[in-house]
Amino acid sequence: MPHREFEEVVLPHLDAAFNYARWLTKSDADAEDVVQDAAVRALRFFSSLRNDDARAWLLTIVRNTWYARFSKPGRADQHAVFDDMKDERPDEQLDPEALVIQQQAVERVQLAIGELPVDFREVIVLRELEGLSYKEIAGVIGAPIGTVMSRLARAREQLLAVLTPAPTSGGAGELS
Amino acid sequence: MNCPEVDRVIDAYIDGELGAAEAVEARVHLDSCPACRERVAARASLSQLIRRVPYRSAPDRFRVAVANTRRPARFSPQLLAWAAMITVAVSLGSGAVIRTIRARQTTAATETMAQDVVAGHVRALMGAHLFDVRSTDQHTVKPWFLGKLDFSPPVNDLVPLGFPLVGGRLDYLAGRPVAALVYQRRQHTINVFVWPASDSGEAPTDTRTLRGFQVRHWTHDHMAFWAVSDLNDIELDQFVHALTP
Repeated sequence: MPHREFEEVVLPHLDAAFNYARWLTKSDADAEDVVQDAAVRALRFFSSLRNDDARAWLLTIVRNTWYARFSKPGRADQHAVFDDMKDERPDEQLDPEALVIQQQAVERVQLAIGELPVDFREVIVLRELEGLSYKEIAGVIGAPIGTVMSRLARAREQLLAVLTPAPTSGGAGELS
Repeated sequence: MNCPEVDRVIDAYIDGELGAAEAVEARVHLDSCPACRERVAARASLSQLIRRVPYRSAPDRFRVAVANTRRPARFSPQLLAWAAMITVAVSLGSGAVIRTIRARQTTAATETMAQDVVAGHVRALMGAHLFDVRSTDQHTVKPWFLGKLDFSPPVNDLVPLGFPLVGGRLDYLAGRPVAALVYQRRQHTINVFVWPASDSGEAPTDTRTLRGFQVRHWTHDHMAFWAVSDLNDIELDQFVHALTP
């Protein structure tokens, strides 16, 4: 009986778990390992889930699992290769040229997120891609809300800096 | 608020995490300060961009692997109970007891199967892997199973009755590959799982509701059928009737 409930409660959030693990590990294989382990743990701790949000609960377990496995220095933060990622959600309201420009901006921001330190990267993912509240994010990463806010602020500053580069760096190509 | 104060809460402001009073104070300042407005706009459009970054969904085969994570432990308490009952039955040596146990075993097996069928239905809908072959043409769907299964599932055209066929896929149930046929009624999806029946008897249709889904099971022409849907019971019965007249 508990298995059935587990299936109903946890499996709908598997995509969120995988997306988060993918951004933490930057590797499909590692993300699968982490989420698979997390599912086993989630099953074991299933009774600890009250009527809280199952997604935040599962994401917390994913993060703890990842942390236990990969948090050794230098291990978790290898180089990002996101060349296989494509944006499949074009905005129909934009003309083709604007679409291309937007597409390029999305690719730049994607690369930039991948290059953020993992502490910043995860708050961006949890906030923008998972839509978690500050309180939920604090619960998942095990830090005070103030920390969530300051990491989010610094992460966004860094991303904005990448998106609006100083005129000296690389902007000349468009003129020629 | 002045500029530095707004700056300190700018993220909470765009994330809707600021208290009502503070949000009003921030808005009052923004109304009169183009520089701060621009900073808010930059962050808001950054958010828009980030939300367009592709979402990494779990691969289908991985989803199935996770769904199966907890299977092994599932039967043990039941098995123990059966073992105990069979021991009692044998020691009593009574045919009636054994018959009762057989009947109960069948009931338990049907219940387990019904749960697996519902799980299969949910998984298919959730994983967006509803079709291996997507076609409303029975003459496309039926041959597709050739060579993939050791039987040929009956595929019907039920359009005149309001249950259009939308496709089919291979699924795995009862320890074997089975045919899953997908029919539609308005916005409701009906999954029909078909495989050769283990005994040739034509049992009456088993009707049950499980976790909010209507489940029907019947045997026809040496095939075992399971239909599951969130459709209401009357229309699903019509469907079952239409499928095996």
